[in-house]
Amino acid sequence: MTSAEAIAPRKLSWVTGAREAVPLLGGYIPVAISFGLIAAQAGFNVWEAGAVSVLVYAGASQFLFVAMVASGAPLWLVVVMSLLINARHVVYGPNIAQWLPHSRWWPWLMHGLTDQIFALSHSRLPLLPENERLGWFTGAMLVAWFSWIGGTLVGVVAGAELTQRWPLLGEVMPFALPALFLVLLAPRFKSRPWSLALAAILLKLSGLPNAAIPIAAACGALLFLAVDANTRKGVNHG
Amino acid sequence: MDRGLWIALIAVAAGTFLMRSLPLVYMQRHLLKRSNEDAAENMPVWLGILGPSMIAAMFGTSLIPATSSVGSWSATALGLIATFLTWKRTKSLGWPIIAGVAAYGLTKILTAAVLQS
Repeated sequence: MTSAEAIAPRKLSWVTGAREAVPLLGGYIPVAISFGLIAAQAGFNVWEAGAVSVLVYAGASQFLFVAMVASGAPLWLVVVMSLLINARHVVYGPNIAQWLPHSRWWPWLMHGLTDQIFALSHSRLPLLPENERLGWFTGAMLVAWFSWIGGTLVGVVAGAELTQRWPLLGEVMPFALPALFLVLLAPRFKSRPWSLALAAILLKLSGLPNAAIPIAAACGALLFLAVDANTRKGVNHG
Repeated sequence: MDRGLWIALIAVAAGTFLMRSLPLVYMQRHLLKRSNEDAAENMPVWLGILGPSMIAAMFGTSLIPATSSVGSWSATALGLIATFLTWKRTKSLGWPIIAGVAAYGLTKILTAAVLQS
């Protein structure tokens, strides 16, 4: 963000948020189209698949929900497993709480607090004036949410045809997500985040795709606390 | 969808929403109670560390290509280099991502063409 953007007038804060969420679409739309396609193959019609994306709005758990329903798993197990995958969201809200000015809208807006919106907010909110944060977050989360819903509907209606006609597009656009995370992390360029990223890669490669993020992050946080405590001890002794 | 499935969907949706919003409400009350002159100082230390750690871990997992091959990994490496170099130059949010996706896509197309010939 440039200094000119930081002092943008309040009425445009939601436009700034919407604009800054645009890079997310490269990752959201192709994945949402895939979800719509899989939901259609599992027997969900366009309204039902759309309802899943509107109400749940969490990629991995939606795929699991549809796959488990299609395989005839007991519904209580579908609910438990879908919620377990989403449990990582518990730490996102408290992490950005310090930058959110008082408003009764915040708890409702948290419906849009996905992995990527959290990462974007964590990096951008501290740089914005307080009176622009509500507008910024609303703009960003709505663009991401609508793109997810739109992608799902397109996937149900025309997913098979689209992936057949432009197979490369679906492969290339999702690279927007690692590129976005790299840009968000670049200003904090230190060895710890990078070693964590490596740990997450290894965990995912070893067959733990959904557990990789929380496990790697928890290990990173524990290591940091251990090193920090050790350093303080060293200072006290010195 | 039958009635049971709708109930399951609403249960997942409600549970996910509560996991996203309740911890925020709790933390906001916690910060308010402690007359937060500096909210950052009132945050538990582990929570402040966990945030950037989660972003780093998401970055790591998002790097894994859908199909693992030399072509995919080289496209990932070149895409990251293009993203980083453009970020160093522009310090903006959008351009580095466009450059990264373009470099990734071009490498993919070139490696596919080389493999076909």
